[in-house]
Amino acid sequence: MSATRMPPPQPAQRVGAAPKKHESNTPGDDPDFRSQLTAWLESHRASLVDSLRRLTKQPIGSFFTCLVMAVALSLPMGLALLLDNVERLGGSWQRAAQISLFLQVDASEAEGQALREQIAAMDDVAAADWISREQALQEFQQQSGLGEALKELPENPLPGVVLVTPREVDKVTLEALRLRLADLPRVEQAQLDLVWVERLTAILSLGDRFVFGLTLLLVMALLLVIGNTIRLHIENRRTEIEVIKLVGGTDSYVRRPFLYMGALYGLGAGLLAWLVLAYGLGWLNDAVIRLAGLYGSDFALAGVPAGDGLSLLLGAVLLGYIGAWLAVARHLNELQPR
Amino acid sequence: MIKFEQVGKRYPNGHVGLHELSFRVRRGEFLFVTGHSGAGKSTLLRLLLAMERPTTGKLLLAGQDLGQITNAQIPYLRRQIGVVFQNHQLLFDRSVFDNVALPLQILGLSKPEISKRVGAALERVSLADKAEQFPGELSTGQQQRVGIARAIVHRPALLLADEPTGNLDPRLAAEIMGVFEDINRLGTSVLIASHDLALIARMRHRMLTLQRGRLIGDGEAV
Repeated sequence: MSATRMPPPQPAQRVGAAPKKHESNTPGDDPDFRSQLTAWLESHRASLVDSLRRLTKQPIGSFFTCLVMAVALSLPMGLALLLDNVERLGGSWQRAAQISLFLQVDASEAEGQALREQIAAMDDVAAADWISREQALQEFQQQSGLGEALKELPENPLPGVVLVTPREVDKVTLEALRLRLADLPRVEQAQLDLVWVERLTAILSLGDRFVFGLTLLLVMALLLVIGNTIRLHIENRRTEIEVIKLVGGTDSYVRRPFLYMGALYGLGAGLLAWLVLAYGLGWLNDAVIRLAGLYGSDFALAGVPAGDGLSLLLGAVLLGYIGAWLAVARHLNELQPR
Repeated sequence: MIKFEQVGKRYPNGHVGLHELSFRVRRGEFLFVTGHSGAGKSTLLRLLLAMERPTTGKLLLAGQDLGQITNAQIPYLRRQIGVVFQNHQLLFDRSVFDNVALPLQILGLSKPEISKRVGAALERVSLADKAEQFPGELSTGQQQRVGIARAIVHRPALLLADEPTGNLDPRLAAEIMGVFEDINRLGTSVLIASHDLALIARMRHRMLTLQRGRLIGDGEAV
C-alpha cells in the first residue's frame, strides 16, 4: 500500500480537557461564533433529516404509530369539542330564560296589562308578555289532557301571568330582577326556573372533569407508546450509539436524533388527529343539524377552531419530544461501548 | 503522556484484569503491548478509553486522572484519542465517507472542513476512491483501513489499536503498520495491543509484555 502523506498535523494536544463552549477541541479548529453556529445548525439539520429519512423508510410502521397516537389525542380533544358545543347550546337556551310573574287570582285584565307595560319599560327587561287567566286555562287544558275535568271546576283557579324575558342572563342579575319583580303590586309569586340550566352546567362540569381525567390517562398512554417506539429505534441503533460514544459523542449528541424522531411522530399524530376530528365532527354535524331542525333550531356543531388545532399540533409535538426524551434518558446509560 | 502508577483492575466477579501495573509513555512514542490472550492488553486499552476505571492505583493521561474523570468529561477525553479495533466497529448503513466523518461531525466542524479532512484521511489509507462505497462492499483489509482513517481523521493526540492486524495477511498487516508509523511520525502517540510477535519484532519499537495482568517485560522488541 502506498500511503499518501497527510498534511502536517498540529502537535498532539492536551488530552481530556472538556471544551467550555463549543464542541470542537482539535487544535487549529478555533472557529468563530458564526461558524460554530453554522456547524451547530448543520448538526441539527442533519439529525432532523436523518430522523425523517428513518421514519419514511418504514412508512407503514411510522403511519400506524402516528395513528395510535392520533387516536389517543383525538379522543379527549373530540370530547372537549363536543362539550364546547353542548355549552354553546346550553348558553343559547339560557339566554331564553324567563321569569314568570303569577299575579293574584283577583287581579284584573287591566291590572295585568298595566303591569306588563310597566315591566316592559324596565331597562333590564328585553320583553314582557301577558297571559290572561283565560289563556292560561286554555293552554293548560290543551297541554294537560284534563280538558273535560277542568271544565267541571266552579271557577278558573289559574292566575294571570306576566312572562318576563330579561336582558342579562347571569344568575345573580336574574335573581335580583326576580326579587324586584316580586315586590311589584298584585304579584303573588315570581318564579325563575334555572334549575335545568344549573343541572346542565353541573353535567358539563362533570364532563369537563371526565375529559381532564381521560386526557391525563391518554397522555400517559401516549408517552408509553412513543417511549416504546423510541426504545425500539434505540435498540436498532445500538451499534451506532456505541460507536458514537466511542469516538466522543456526548449524550446530547446521541439523544438529538431520537428527540427529533419523537417530535416528528408527534407532528404526524397531531396532523392525523386534526384530520380525524375535522372529518368526524363534519360527519356528526349532518345528523345534528337534522335533529336540531326537528326542534326548530338552527344549531350546528362548530368544527375544530384553528387555534385549538394548532394547540393540538403543538401539544402532540411536545408530547412526542417528552416521550422520546424519557425513553432516551432511560436507555442511554445502558448503551456503553463494549 | 500516559502514566500508570500501580494500576490494578479487579472485576466484580473477582477476576483480576491487571495487577499493580506501572509504566510511562512519552508524548509521540510508539509502543506495543503484547501478551497472550487474557494477559490484560484489552483491559489496558479499555482503561485508557475510560470504558472502565481502575480499581487501584492512578492512571494519568496527559495529567488527567482517569480514575477520577466524570462521566461528562469522558466524551471530551475520547475525542482526543483515536481507536482502531480488530472488528473495525464500522457502521454498515453509512458510506465510507460518513463513517470516517463521524468524529468530525461530533466535533461540529463545518461541511467543507469535514470534506477536506475525510479526503485526506482516506487518501492516507489509500481509500480515496472508495469514499462513496459502503463498508459491506469492501474487503476486510479495506474495512480495517476505513477504521484507521476514522481513528486519525480528527488528528488525535493518542492512537490506540487493539489487534489491528489480527484478521489481515502479513503483507497487508505490514502496510497497516506502515500507516501507524506515518501517523506516529506526525506527532501522535501510538499504542498497539498485538500478539503478533514477528510483526512487532520487525518494527523495533518499545514493547510492554503482559502476562496474567502483570507487566513482565518493558523494552525494545527484538
